[in-house]
Amino acid sequence: MSDNDAADRPPRLDRRQLVGALGGAVAAPFLIRRAQAASAVNIGVILPLSGANAQFGVNSRNGIQLVADQINAAGGIKSLGSARVELVVADATSTPTQAATVAQRMITQNRVAAILGAFASSLTLAISEVTERRDIPLLTMSFSDQITERGFKSVFQVVAKASVIGAAQFDGTLAIAKKAGTDLKQVAILFEDTAYGTSQAGGLRKAAAKAGVQVVVDEGYPLGITDVTPLINKLRASGAQAVFPVSYLNDSLQIIRVMRQQGLTFPAIGGAAGYVIPDFKSGLGEYAEGILSISPANWDQDPALTDTFSKRYGYFMVHEALEHAVCLDVLVQAMEKAGKSDPASLREVLHGTRFEGGWTKVMTGGAVQFDAAGLNTLAEPLMVQWRGKEPVTVWPERFAKAPPIWKA
Amino acid sequence: MALIQAILDGVMIGGVYAVISIGLTLVFGVMGIVNFAQAEFLMLGMFIAWFAWAKLGLDPLVGAFLAFALVFLLGLAVQHWLVRRVMRAPEVAQIFLTVGLLIVLENAALLAFGSDFRSVSTPYQTAALRLGPLFVSVPYLAAFAMSALSGLGLWWFLRVSWFGRAMRATAQDPMAARLSGIDVDRMRRLAFGLGVGLSAFGGAVILPYLTVYPTVGSQFVVLMFTVVVLGGLGSVAGAVVGGLAVGVIQSLSGLVFPIQLQNLVLFVVFIAVLAVRPEGLLGKAR
Amino acid sequence: MPVAAIAAALIVPLGLDGDGYAIRVIALVFLFAALGQSWNIVGGLANQISLGHAAFFGIGAYTSTRLLIDFGLSPWFGMLAGGVLGGAAAALISLPTMRLRGHYFALATLAFGEVMRVVANAWTGLTGGPVGISVPYSAPGLWMLSFKGTLPFYYLNLTALVGVTAVFVGIRRSAFGYRLQAVREDANAAEVVGVDTARIKIQAAVISGALTAMLGTLYAQMNFFFDPDAVFGAAPISVRIALIAIVGGIGTAAGPILGAILIVSLEEIANVLLSGQVAGLSNLVYGLILIAVIMIQPHGLVALGPVFRRPWRVPAVDAAK
Repeated sequence: MSDNDAADRPPRLDRRQLVGALGGAVAAPFLIRRAQAASAVNIGVILPLSGANAQFGVNSRNGIQLVADQINAAGGIKSLGSARVELVVADATSTPTQAATVAQRMITQNRVAAILGAFASSLTLAISEVTERRDIPLLTMSFSDQITERGFKSVFQVVAKASVIGAAQFDGTLAIAKKAGTDLKQVAILFEDTAYGTSQAGGLRKAAAKAGVQVVVDEGYPLGITDVTPLINKLRASGAQAVFPVSYLNDSLQIIRVMRQQGLTFPAIGGAAGYVIPDFKSGLGEYAEGILSISPANWDQDPALTDTFSKRYGYFMVHEALEHAVCLDVLVQAMEKAGKSDPASLREVLHGTRFEGGWTKVMTGGAVQFDAAGLNTLAEPLMVQWRGKEPVTVWPERFAKAPPIWKA
Repeated sequence: MALIQAILDGVMIGGVYAVISIGLTLVFGVMGIVNFAQAEFLMLGMFIAWFAWAKLGLDPLVGAFLAFALVFLLGLAVQHWLVRRVMRAPEVAQIFLTVGLLIVLENAALLAFGSDFRSVSTPYQTAALRLGPLFVSVPYLAAFAMSALSGLGLWWFLRVSWFGRAMRATAQDPMAARLSGIDVDRMRRLAFGLGVGLSAFGGAVILPYLTVYPTVGSQFVVLMFTVVVLGGLGSVAGAVVGGLAVGVIQSLSGLVFPIQLQNLVLFVVFIAVLAVRPEGLLGKAR
Repeated sequence: MPVAAIAAALIVPLGLDGDGYAIRVIALVFLFAALGQSWNIVGGLANQISLGHAAFFGIGAYTSTRLLIDFGLSPWFGMLAGGVLGGAAAALISLPTMRLRGHYFALATLAFGEVMRVVANAWTGLTGGPVGISVPYSAPGLWMLSFKGTLPFYYLNLTALVGVTAVFVGIRRSAFGYRLQAVREDANAAEVVGVDTARIKIQAAVISGALTAMLGTLYAQMNFFFDPDAVFGAAPISVRIALIAIVGGIGTAAGPILGAILIVSLEEIANVLLSGQVAGLSNLVYGLILIAVIMIQPHGLVALGPVFRRPWRVPAVDAAK
């Protein structure tokens, strides 16, 4: 590059400076390479660290960092000559284009063996288009149905699909209500019009139809809604016995508060995201107690492991942190088994192995196993209920840590 | 009854929209600059009120005054160091200076406060008054009352005080104002400070029913523009009408259309008003 | 000079990994420079500051992808169809907004872009909704605009940039271009001397919208996946396109090219160096530099070197890559 620059160097001073500066600016990113120790494996981590999803990105990074430090402290990846796990972390920002560019950079500049990320489904889908063409394994906890439905060979999803999570949100609620003697006949679905909201609402809708339960309100609303009163007015008039809001935190707090204002006391059963993070509790205080939500995973499935997280970061291990921790653990286990870190061997091991032990113990089934499409077949969504400062698993029974309470 | 409820809700939320948007129209009126970063000052106001609540135990409705004061001072500085220097630059440079400011403020907040969603808990947060079949949300009512209060304060300031009259003179004709001994730069600083301070105040009073996080401003940007355009850019009284109109339109459209299309209705009205009456609903016909 | 620059741009990839990061970034520079250049037709020549060009961009991306999925139609036809629809949309939005100037026009177009984004999110049957849409695999080849690597898009985007720049320069030198500039300088005076200002503005908007939509197709094929926010978004597309033209130098052929080089590489450098650190730092620095550039040179980078005012000398900058 600099040779070209010199060859075309124009005679004028002002112009030369500008050309030099611009040339330098363009060249800089390509010249920067991380010093790579001989005995280290680079693993790419692409997460939204700025923008609207920043908090979830930071939580996820915390989980990954924790596991990386644990592995390195325990002597690295033994079958690779005790290679250290070297994380290459970058901000996916909020745009799929940028996320894809970051992926391409990590693959060609940092020579990452695999990529973890990127929380938001749209970012993950964009990254997967790059990793698939390069045969680099991508491990994710995004749960849009599309991720594993395109026949990709190098994408691995540790949690259940959105439609399955939505269905579980409905089925779990129905089961819990029935046990308490309440027969649900009419329910409402509220969802934000993001990839997460719409695909999970799709699962809810299908499950309701299957169970013969009438959906009396089925409303999408824009992400970042500043006034939910019209939604709650509809809800109040509908005669719903329960509402399923699928939303991030800002809207979930508004929905619960305005329901309280209007004296609507029927249960709201959250759809993960905003309903299962510490800020939900700190925002709602006592009103959080007893609120149910679906969650792709929960910390209490193996508290001994997740306590290492809460000790270090000061809050319970939220599901996105936990699932990303599992992604890294599974990846490292695959490297241990393969004795190599090249993409082809990794992919083969990831597809054909039942991963047990380590962080996989916190997942349902205590293990992780991917099918041909890359979906973890053992992952089952959990119903959780707020008890004090944490959500506790209450359904399905075989994973429950406490009996569910239904307040109709 | 649903109709009356919707109008009532719309008026209350619209009062808040009016206050957070007045700043935008004030800055435009006095300086001819559309401040794309206006909503970021609302975000700052929310953060200040949150910290006043968490650290000093102040209710956000009280913290609002602190938010106003601090952001007012910040506004003076921003006007002096940044905006003043592009007053004579092309319009596009002005637009993109404020876009740059938006990016800086949003990410500075992310660095300083982290990405947590913060929200306050107050005793009246989940309360509502019942008027027969109608509900009046207490936090909405409180926000509306505070907005009305600040609106009256601004009206007094602009109409009655010498500063206010000097500011209006500056808006109408900077050259003439300068000739009659008004320090135009000072008036512009004051206008900018007041404008962003009011948005911060509005941010603080809505904190009881919303959540603050670094990108919260983006929920309000287009809304604020709609309010001021409906009312006529530069018209303070227009912003009040525009705010109420936007609140009621949003609320009523929720009765007829899916709520997902709430903003669509707003934008269409916005474009239509611009096309038919670019001077705003209250503006004088050309 | 332009010939030398294009030649240099043609040779550059030979020394680089054909599927690498550098190729992708430069290809994006070309794409966004081309977008800035088509924006320049209305933004620069008529001084109508549009903040809604994402509307046309998204129309192009969705049109070709939809035709490809439903009918297996080559994206080349999709690109043409997208261009027609993009031009039509531009004409449509011109009708209510052409009398507006300055900030009013900017705000109206911003709202139009947002209308398209909301519609795309809600109209799930057509767009796939917020979950986004994947461009299906086709056998690699120019006919289906489908490639495994990035290098072909480097050349396609370069071709597009050269093409759009040629259109821009052609318009600027034509009678049509002079009329546009007359409208910019003084619309009333232009009317008096017999320029049909409304017609002129609509024509410019249609050309600009159609080109932007066609570039949307290229984007879709290059990225394989997009969602409404990615193509109709105000921040990632509309504002960015305008910013590129403005930072580089509005109304000049070199401006968008310089602007794209600066903005895209600035984003990349900030992301590479800072985004792994504290969250938000990279964007903060990006914003600060943006403010600095505008404070130092409100007329754009072009104004920095007198030589850049002459459009044909400028592509020398490309040679520096």
